[in-house]
Parts: sequence; C-alpha cells; structure tokens
Amino acid sequence: MRVIVADDAVLFREGMARILTEVGFDVTGQARNGTELIRLVRRGAPDVVITDLRMPPDFADEGIEAAAEIRSFAPNVGVMLLSQHVEVHHALRLMDEFDGAVGYLLKDRVSDLRAFAADVRRVAAGHVVIDQELVSRLVSRRRERDPLAELTDRELQVLALMAQGLTNAALAEELFVSVKTVEGYIRSVFTKLGLQPGEREHRRVLAVLQFLRQQ
Amino acid sequence: MSAALESRKPSTEAPTTALDIGLGIVALLVAMLVGYGWFLGFHVDNAHNGLIAASFSAVGLYVVRMRPRHREGWLFVAVGAVHAVMFFGRQYGHAEGVLPAASWIGWLGVWPLPLAIALTGWTFMAFPHGRMLSPAWRRAGLAMLAVAALMATMSALWPVDHDRIGMVSPHPLELSGSETAARLWPYLLPSYALFQVLWTAAVVVRLRRARGDEARQMRWLVYATVMAMVLLVAGLAVLRSPVPGALVVPLIPVAAGIAIQKYRLYDIDPVINKTLVIGSLVLVVTTGYVALVVGVGSLIPAGTGWLSLLATAVVAVAFEPLRRRAQILADRLVYGHRATPYEALSRLSAQLDEAPEELLDGIAATVANAVGATEVVVWVGEEARLLPQAGWPHPPEPSEPSRLGELDRGAHRHVRPVVHRGTVRGAITLRKPAGEALTTTEVRLLSDLVAQTGLVIAQQQQAQELQAAARRIVSAQDAARRRIERDLHDGAQQRLVTMGLELGSLAEQAQASGGPELAARVKEVRAQLLETTADLRELARGLHPMVLTQAGLDTALRMLADRSAIPVRLTVAIPGRLSREIEVTAYYIVSEALTNAARHSGADVVTVEVARVVEGLRVGVSDDGCGGARRRHGSGLEGLADRVAAVGARLTVDSPVGGGTRIRTVLPCA
Repeated sequence: MRVIVADDAVLFREGMARILTEVGFDVTGQARNGTELIRLVRRGAPDVVITDLRMPPDFADEGIEAAAEIRSFAPNVGVMLLSQHVEVHHALRLMDEFDGAVGYLLKDRVSDLRAFAADVRRVAAGHVVIDQELVSRLVSRRRERDPLAELTDRELQVLALMAQGLTNAALAEELFVSVKTVEGYIRSVFTKLGLQPGEREHRRVLAVLQFLRQQ
Repeated sequence: MSAALESRKPSTEAPTTALDIGLGIVALLVAMLVGYGWFLGFHVDNAHNGLIAASFSAVGLYVVRMRPRHREGWLFVAVGAVHAVMFFGRQYGHAEGVLPAASWIGWLGVWPLPLAIALTGWTFMAFPHGRMLSPAWRRAGLAMLAVAALMATMSALWPVDHDRIGMVSPHPLELSGSETAARLWPYLLPSYALFQVLWTAAVVVRLRRARGDEARQMRWLVYATVMAMVLLVAGLAVLRSPVPGALVVPLIPVAAGIAIQKYRLYDIDPVINKTLVIGSLVLVVTTGYVALVVGVGSLIPAGTGWLSLLATAVVAVAFEPLRRRAQILADRLVYGHRATPYEALSRLSAQLDEAPEELLDGIAATVANAVGATEVVVWVGEEARLLPQAGWPHPPEPSEPSRLGELDRGAHRHVRPVVHRGTVRGAITLRKPAGEALTTTEVRLLSDLVAQTGLVIAQQQQAQELQAAARRIVSAQDAARRRIERDLHDGAQQRLVTMGLELGSLAEQAQASGGPELAARVKEVRAQLLETTADLRELARGLHPMVLTQAGLDTALRMLADRSAIPVRLTVAIPGRLSREIEVTAYYIVSEALTNAARHSGADVVTVEVARVVEGLRVGVSDDGCGGARRRHGSGLEGLADRVAAVGARLTVDSPVGGGTRIRTVLPCA
C-alpha cells in the first residue's frame, strides 16, 4: 500500500516513514508542508496520505486544506490527518466535506503501531476513523437532560464505536458478536436517540457526533 | 482709558472748531437759562425741568462733542434745550413779584410742554443709536410728534394748560374761541399717557430684540429709568413728595450717556443683579417686619419692645434662605438661562465624577452655558498639534491637527489655551453671537473653567496612558503565551510524540525477537509517555487556544462548551471575526467563568451568551450555583477584571450567596 507522509518535524516524519515501511507500507514520498504534499500526490497518487494538520506557513489548518485539494483532483486517495489536539469542529468538517476515506487522530496514536496501521488501512479502504479521545470526551459530557442515560452499557459502547467510524463488521469483530446482533444494537440506539441512520458511513458518524455535541 | 478710546475714533468724527464754537454757545445758553432760572427761586413742580435741561444737555453735548454724527447725542441736546427754555419760562412766570414781560416769558414755559414730552419720547424710542426700530415705529413716533404739535399750538394760542400747571403769570393772548379750546383740551390730555405707553413699548421691544452690545446699552437705560421710577413712587408713597424722584431724573441721561459712550468699560449686569437682590430683600424684610409687628401686636396687647425684638429675630432667621432665593431669581432675570459662576463650577465638579470620555463634552456644555456661547470646541494636544475632542452644541467634525495660533480663524471666535504645569495641553474656542463681547464676569469665569479643563485633560491623558500600559501588558502576556504554546507544539510535544513512535517500534521489535518482558516494560514506559503528552496537551491548550486564532471566537467558545465539566447553554451571535484583543478577552472571560463554575459553584447548568450589540461585544456568563464569588486579590476574577479594564470595559460580577453567579461585560469593538 502506497503512502505519502507530510509533517514539518523531520524526526517525526522520518520515524513514521520508517515504522510504516516496517509494517509493510510503501512510503512513496515525504513532504514538509501542504504545498509539497499536493505536488507529490500530483506526481504519483498513493493509496493514502498521512498528514499533520498544523503545518507551515501559518500553523493553522494547512493539513485539512491540502487534503481538500487532493480530494478534488484525486478522489480515491484516502486522507489521514494527525494532530496534537483533536477538536470536534475539525471532525465535523471532515465528516461533512469529505465523502468518507478520511481519518482524524491524535499524533500519539502512531505509538501503537498495529492499531495505527489498521486505521490507515481502513481509511485507504474508504472508511472513516475518528480519534477515541474525542469521542469519549463527547460521550462522557454532563448534560442537562441526558438522553444517553436511556442507553444500556452495551448500546453506549456501540454508540462510541460508531462515532469512531467503525463499520458494522468491525463493530461485530470488536464486540465479539454477530453482525446481526450489532445491527440490532444500532437500531435500538437510533430509536432511543431519535436519530435517522445515514445511508453512508461518514453520514452516520456525522449524525452521531452532532447528536453527542448537543446539550 | 477714554484717551485710548478717542485715539481709535475715525478721523471723520473728529470735532471741528466750528462745531466746538456752536456747542459752546448752546452750552452757554442752556447754562444761562438754567442758572438764571434757579436764581429766581425754587419751585418743586419746576425742579425736574431744570434737572432734565442740565443733565440731558450736558450728556448730549458731551456725546456730540465726541461723536458729532451721533443722532442720539443731538436728540439729547434738543431735549435739554427745550427743557432749559421751559424751565426758565416757568421759573420766570412763577417768580415772586411780577417781572417784566412775565406773561410772555412764562408763556414759553407752558406751551412747549407737549413737544418736550414727545421729543423726550422720541429720544427714548431711538435709543441708543438715534434711529427708530423700524419704519412702523418711525410712523408712530411721527404721529406722536404731530399730536404734540397740535397740542402745543392750542396751548400757545389759548390758556388751556396755564391753569393746570398753576402758572402765576397770565396767558399773554386773549383770542376768541378759548371756551371751545378749553372744552376740547380734556380730550387731548390723555395723549401724554399714550405717548408714555408708546415709548415704553418701544423700549421694551428693543430690549427684547437687542443682542450683544445693544442689549448691554439698553440695560443701562432701563436700569436707570426703573430706579428713577421706583424712587419716585417710593418718595410719593413714603414722603408724599416728588422730590426724591425728581432728584434722580439726571440718572437717566447719565446712564444713557455711559451706555452710548462707555458701555464696553463697565458691566451693568452685576449692578442690576445686586440691586435686584437688595431691593427684593428690603421689600420682603420690611413687609415681614411690619406684618409681624402689626399683626402680632394687634393680637397681644403688650409692649412693642419685645415684639420688635421677635420680629427682628424672625426676619434674621429668614434672611439667609431669602437672600439665596433672591440671588437665584436675580441671576435668572439678569443672565437669563446663563449659569452663575458658582452654578457653572459646581455643575462642572459634579461632572468630574462621570465617565472620563464624556468629561470634555461636559466642559464644552458648561462653558457654553456659562458665557452664552453659540459654539464651543475643546481641543486637546500639543501647542502645534491640537485636535478637536469635544464640542457644544454638537461634537466637532474630525479635522487635521491645528496649531494654537490658527485656532482664532472665523468670526467672533475666542481662543483660550489650556495650560497645565506650564505646558499647553489643549485649548477652548468659543463663538459668541454677532456683536457680543465677553463681559468681565464671563472672562473671569472662562479662565476658571479653562484651569479646570487643564486638570481634566491631564487626568484624562494619565488615564489613557494607564489603560494603554495595561493593554500593552495584557497583549505582551498574550503574545508570550502564544509563543510558548507554539514552542511546546513544535518542540517538546513534537519530540515526545516522536519518542512515543520510537517506543512503539521498540515494543514491536522486542515482541518479535521473543522478549515479551522487555516488550511489556517498553509498553509501560510508552504509556507513561502518553500520559505526559496528554498533560502537556492540556497545558498548551490552556496557554493559548489555537482554535481561537484559526477559527474564531464562535468555534473557540463552542470548544469550551464541549469540554466544560458542567452543562453549558451557549448562545453566540457574532457576525464574522472581531479584533484579536477582543476575541481573546471574551474567550478568557468565558473560560475562566466556566472553570470557576465547575470548581466552586456546584451549578447544574451555566448559561453563556455572547452577542455583538451596538455598544460592542456583550459577554454574559451566569450559573445557578451557590454564588458568593469574590474578586479576591490574585484570584482569576481579579485577573479577568484587569484584562477587561485593559480594553476599556468594566467587568460586573454579581454573586449573592446562594443566588448563583453572573458575570457581565460589554467589550468595545472598533
């Protein structure tokens, strides 16, 4: 699987390229900023790009901007965004603007090499990955009238994993149950919360995140 | 001083020798007629004629000598001359023992009377320039003269007025028709009263319309006339004699003369003011005294000694409040709506307590009120760079900086530099109505106000400097926080993450090379490392929220609400981005308030409302917790208050024990 990595910190970038190679990725390029990343992708589209969110020149959200442009000319390239902080508004934007094949993780996650590699592959396969810290922050928020109180522990677990972008199959695997059982949980969650299940995966994530963000 | 005035007179008005000789002759004639008249004896009924003759002639001749073209001067001379002739005629006719030609000379003292009255009336109507107010008034004056001429003719032909005046010598003519004339005469006599109504009306109308110098001149005349009237009435009422009234008649022409010639030198207003105060006090005190003594005396048949004592005491006690009332009333009457110096200064010091940015507007209004200006502008800056900062009746137009010396451009503009500790700090410019100069009182009051303005400007500049310093400190602090956050992000955080990555890789290798213990230890170290990075992440976010810079206040507040330990009801209504300073300030208010609420309040919900309103950005955070939040030294609330003050706003903290906490402010947006 071909990967291009982009980060302005050279040690981190090279370290990541090395471990990705160790676990079987083909790192076809390294970029120091968004512009370079776009140029590299134009030269030869990889299956997925892994990019820092905050890069030169302004250290704002150059990673997302670059990803959006890549999506416009190479719609099949998966995008994994890494950041020191994960913020809800960024996650919502990614779910809203990108038609799937997008991930948003804390940089810390690269230290669990296997999990990270799996997440990158899911993104490359067109799925959605949202950092669990962001999701657990939203799920554990105190609310004035908490609709989540009506969910069973298992349903809550399903909700959190759905928000992280897991597919029904992945959910079943994670929970050691059948896909049919998972579908039952999901129906129950959506009914209790009054949510409309989206047709597409990233739509479902968006709906859940938006719901979790409400008061 | 008069020499200075004379030197400024145009040469065309310089007296010529011929004029001097003519005036000398008139003066001599009047002096002879009046002098010889007095020599012939004293008759109360004639005395006023003599006084009028002498005073009007003297004043008229003086005015004409100084300003030969001054019509009013010539009118005065005419009035004086007519009265001199009449006075002499009457004195001659009244003389003891019949003098030669007494009936003819006495006749001269009678028949010109209507003309003398009409001429005097005309003189008053034409005061102070010798011209009538309008063609209509001129026609009325001419009608008066015509009636007077008719009456004088009748009086000259028949003895219709001789008996009324009590002339001793008989009428020199014995023409037929005297009975008819005598029947008609009573119908014409009320004309005298009409003449007086006419000229009084003219003077009142002119007084009301007059502005500036003319108003000041009119006040001299009216003051003297009213005083003469009061003394006449008082004399008649108390002494049953017209003598006091007659004796002060010369006051009128003298006052009129001052008004014509020297009105700029003397300010009549304080004199009128004092007279009104003293007059009304004398009246009130006397009335009170009499009422008390007579009233109580009639009820209690006791000695009047202690009654007088009591009355005196009561009047004395009542005196001070009465005096104050009378003073206020007199101020109103004399200065109209203009404030007294005391009023102006006390109003100003009351304004000193108000918001500093409105102080200069207050000063402009006070100055306008105190000196009756039509426009006042307060300038602030250095001598060579003055900018208009406040104004009355409307704020000044923004303009280029001006030099102090350039400020007196434009008509009727007075400039007063504002000097504080030897340095020009600003200026006050004001416009008076056309033709109106600053009176001595106004000049004094203005210099007092200007001195106060110096203090205000200095204080305001200090306040501005303080605020600017606070602002610099806060923004330097923010810049430092941003820099540290950036350094952490690019340095320590980045390195820790890289180390985590390497540890992860090591753990994999250890696992693969058959060292599960080593792998477990490496994973343990990695876990600790991840905790450290999490701590560092929170620290960095607390230092400066990158979201605020990237996405703006709306998103940043949303993020605060997402992370709040207490449920937040958030309402944000901001169209677009605001200045960094305001965004950061609003963010910290909400952040600090949420932290405090989570730590201390025990609230169930916090309501956050942030909205752009006309006055700026309104920020309000309220919770339903236990309240009792205090702005203790070194507390977060104090830091917030300082931060808010640095952008020129004020933080309101309302936190009654048991009643929740409300934090509010409106941050000014440029």
